[in-house]
Amino acid sequence: MTPVRAAILAVLIAIPTVLTGTWIHSADARLAEQTATPTEQVAVASASDVGYCSPGLKKILRRVLMSCGLVGGSAARGCQPIQAKNVATMSGGDFNALFTPMKERGGIVEFEKNKSELTPGAIGLVDQVFADQKGASWFFVVARASPEGSVEHNRELSKARAESVMTQLRQQFKDPDLDKEVGMLWLGEEFAQLETAFCDWKRSATGTACTAEEINRSAFIAWIDCQL
Amino acid sequence: MRPPRWLIVVFVGALVGIVFAGVSTYDFVQHLDRQVHSLHCSFIPGMSHGAGESGCQVAMMSPYSSVLRSRVWGGIPISLPAMAVFAFIGFYALDLLLTRRTEDRRATAFLALATALPALASLVMLMISLIKLGTTCKLCVCIYIASALCLTGGIMMWRHSLKTTSPAPAASNGFLGAMVGVGVAFVGVPLILYLAMSPDHSKFLGTCENLTKSEDTYGVMVKVEKGSSGVPAIEILDPLCPACKAFEERLGGSGLGERLDRKAILFPLDTECNWMITETTHPGACTVSEAVLCAGDRAPEVIKWAFEVQDRVRAEAKTDKTAAARIVKEKFPELASCVGSAEARSKLNKSMRWAVSHNIRVLTPQLFVDNVKLCDEDVDLGLEYALSRMLAAHDRGERLGPPPAEAPPDVPMGGHHAGSASAVEKPKPPKSTETKPSEAGSSETKPAETKPAETKPAETKPEPTEAKPVETKPAEPEGTPVTKPEPMPPEDKGSGGAP
Repeated sequence: MTPVRAAILAVLIAIPTVLTGTWIHSADARLAEQTATPTEQVAVASASDVGYCSPGLKKILRRVLMSCGLVGGSAARGCQPIQAKNVATMSGGDFNALFTPMKERGGIVEFEKNKSELTPGAIGLVDQVFADQKGASWFFVVARASPEGSVEHNRELSKARAESVMTQLRQQFKDPDLDKEVGMLWLGEEFAQLETAFCDWKRSATGTACTAEEINRSAFIAWIDCQL
Repeated sequence: MRPPRWLIVVFVGALVGIVFAGVSTYDFVQHLDRQVHSLHCSFIPGMSHGAGESGCQVAMMSPYSSVLRSRVWGGIPISLPAMAVFAFIGFYALDLLLTRRTEDRRATAFLALATALPALASLVMLMISLIKLGTTCKLCVCIYIASALCLTGGIMMWRHSLKTTSPAPAASNGFLGAMVGVGVAFVGVPLILYLAMSPDHSKFLGTCENLTKSEDTYGVMVKVEKGSSGVPAIEILDPLCPACKAFEERLGGSGLGERLDRKAILFPLDTECNWMITETTHPGACTVSEAVLCAGDRAPEVIKWAFEVQDRVRAEAKTDKTAAARIVKEKFPELASCVGSAEARSKLNKSMRWAVSHNIRVLTPQLFVDNVKLCDEDVDLGLEYALSRMLAAHDRGERLGPPPAEAPPDVPMGGHHAGSASAVEKPKPPKSTETKPSEAGSSETKPAETKPAETKPAETKPEPTEAKPVETKPAEPEGTPVTKPEPMPPEDKGSGGAP
């Protein structure tokens, strides 16, 4: 083979060989560089933590959740009026105001006078609101009674109303996290009576009048999109 | 020494072939860094196609673009031997001229035979492109044309030699044998070099956010394939995600899917139900996911159907929110009462809560084989390489990657810190930094979704949409936020507030 032919052979065989070697070497170098560089954090699936979850709200939320047996391993379930009042350490109006940002995430389950059974409309509202959990971590059931009858009776009545909602949730949604995410408070007539401003919320008794008494024969339900 | 006209044609064809096969090889090889790169998919050599779907992308990601995929990450691109063969043809054409064998029947017959090789390969690849892939790639078309030029020139040279008498002695068997050897060397040397130099990707196996537990506590996992059996695997799936569909096709094509018992966690990238994203990538995905969950044992059938009609559903649901439900109910009327019900919505929500409680990245598809994650960088070119090794390790009873961290206790979602996932131990493989092609089209892409899908605001912002902020505050011990009592303020002490 003449030198010219050999040179042509060498050049042409070098084309795929050298190019490939160079490209692989370059890719390998980039790979090594990337591996050595700390990687940026990546988006990870997480629960909601929306704008209204201020540190103040979270503090109250945590206290209520713990004191009402929702977290912390307590066997007790639910908060009674005195507990809620003491734990919240705020006025009833301020307590209710905490929930106003959750209007789109909640509803008012209304009961008939002196009753604690859910009406078909109430069942529908409970199911609808609960199914719309999205990324929320906590579901509050805050039951009340209108200021008619004795304080003790209303306390028990509101407790029964809260438990009616919980029973419905248990029956409809076989959610293993139910006991860890549903917080129950029953306030009777003693603390944080709802004002008629809450008549604007989704209510189970749609189309009916909404007086101060009627809006308090209720269980307020809402998902709270906060992380603790 | 004036070169014959048809020999010039052969030489030009060989040059064109070297250039375009070279560009194709370059495009392939640069992916060995596990990142995403735009391809030079153009009739003008070196012109970038830019982001987005292209026939070149489809061709490159297909199992036909390379060989030995289980042995080498991505396999050896077939464009590499193509480049070598064109280089050999170029060399041989010049050699015929230098040795005055342009009118030698035996030598020109060898040229015609040599040029038939790339022509035959081009014909086969063209058939595959049209029949199997349903598209053609511009680079490939240029290589087909180069092959045709070489073949035409080679045959014409041979035919011309039949009509003339060569002044030089006829090519001996030794000469032709030597040329066969040279041809083998042209192909063999770069192939051996490729095998020797290809980066070791096995070190990344098992290093990508493995699961610490995989129990289906919410009862939301659905089977992806009917009657499948094998190694338990979990796929994070959006039935309207093109990348999931492409992944399904690649998995099926690899034959490795049969060795998996895959169950899906539905994770629709649709703001109708998914709070972790700010923009809907796949309109209608929530509704179709509900249909999958409602279908029970027929879930594989619904998933398969969803892959088939996903373009239509997404297009119609973009302008009509009820379109997805309507299309689902047309096809599966028996699911009509379930889709959209509180129960179905709640179940879908639990599916996404499963993702939250397992610190899953916000992207689809993802595959966990026996709790070991197939890295996102391995879902396309490296699929056969990575998955076959993961399965082999499983068969040997080995666990890839670092030892699993202690499983987080069961706490409600609000008790988890979003950033906790990033605490999963990892020598993590590099993440994509370049723009991935969009997921437009149904064909496989290096999927926009093998990258994080759109998520909420902030610093981790994989394209095309921004990522949800991952909390960067130091992670508290898992579960502590909800299990450690907060001290009561002084005025609360003794109040009896806590039961």
